[in-house]
Amino acid sequence: MANNSTADFQPQITLLYCRQSLAAEVKPVQGNRAGNGFSVRLVLLPCSSKVQLPHLMRLLEQGSDGLQIAACPEKACQHLVGSNRAEKRIARGRELLEQVGMGAERLGLDRGAGLSLDDLMEMAGQRAEALRALGPNPMKGV
Amino acid sequence: MITAEWKPIEEMVGYLRGHKKVLVIGCATCVAECAAGGEREVETLAPLLAMAMQNDGNPIEVKSATLERQCEPEFLEAIAEAAAEADAIVSVACGIGMQLVAERYADTPLYPGVNTTSLSIREEPGLWTSRCAACGDCVLGFTFGLCPVARCAKSLQNGPCGGTRTNGMCEINQDTPCIWRLIVERATARGRLEDLTKVRPPKDWSNSPAGGPKRMLREDLRS
Ligand code: SF4
Ligand code: SF4
Repeated sequence: MANNSTADFQPQITLLYCRQSLAAEVKPVQGNRAGNGFSVRLVLLPCSSKVQLPHLMRLLEQGSDGLQIAACPEKACQHLVGSNRAEKRIARGRELLEQVGMGAERLGLDRGAGLSLDDLMEMAGQRAEALRALGPNPMKGV
Repeated sequence: MITAEWKPIEEMVGYLRGHKKVLVIGCATCVAECAAGGEREVETLAPLLAMAMQNDGNPIEVKSATLERQCEPEFLEAIAEAAAEADAIVSVACGIGMQLVAERYADTPLYPGVNTTSLSIREEPGLWTSRCAACGDCVLGFTFGLCPVARCAKSLQNGPCGGTRTNGMCEINQDTPCIWRLIVERATARGRLEDLTKVRPPKDWSNSPAGGPKRMLREDLRS
């Protein structure tokens, strides 16, 4: 049963992160983690440019409350323009989500380098806060 | 290629109210090249429509498929089962493909997910510009290979109109080069500017879309 009360809403965030954005000593992790007031599913990407709108929209259709992409800084992309492409796609995705009444804040991209697992959790937490006012994903449990 | 653009999702929502099982179909040919109706767009639009209808208070079940071509009857059979199960179809192929689907699956309402807009080229990634308007009496032979029907805002046959901007762009749209400026430049470069002053036979517009529905018959190809 979906949790429809905004007060005790614990957003479920899917965080897709570029492997290169991690600090060298950090071992990539995948799977579910609990945050403070939210939960997160970590998904490892070889490059942030691997995110495509069909996948992102399916994740939201399947009930994820929000999606966060972690990309490398603009000049640090191993594929030169990969993270810029991802950023443009995310901007379009946000517009489309606004049009369908889901709210743009269900999707976001931030950049970072030398990230730790705590940094990824913090990014996910920021996404959770940004979408908290939107409430749970109406597709949950559909 | 034939280009198309997504209709506003709000318009699609209006069409789909009252429907429960919707099939979204694309075409892997022209509309895939112009990023409106290929598999990627279909698989983006299908979940978006599910979300839009849920938020509209009219939840639907959405299935999706991308056909190799929507404008050839043989390829339409691939969705026979899905079309029979659906109570509405949204097509993001061009108007030609859409109509063939509407004819083949005549019992199921078909709604356009795109507006079909032009015959264009992909000039750069993310930019498509008109090249032809299917006017039925091609004048490229007189205009140095540059189309004044599709690429002049007034479809002038003897240009330029006098409104060309000082930077060479069209007076109607500052992002579009004045095609008559380009025609004159190409004629000049070939040392053939005089050719543009020659009197030409009047253009036959009766073979254009304005001349009514086209029916092209080739007896030698008929069975
Ligand atoms: S003159 Fe007519 S047929 Fe030729 S390119 Fe222009 S619109 Fe197309
Ligand atoms: S400025 Fe050039 S392209 Fe624009 S309407 Fe005039 S002749 Fe046509």
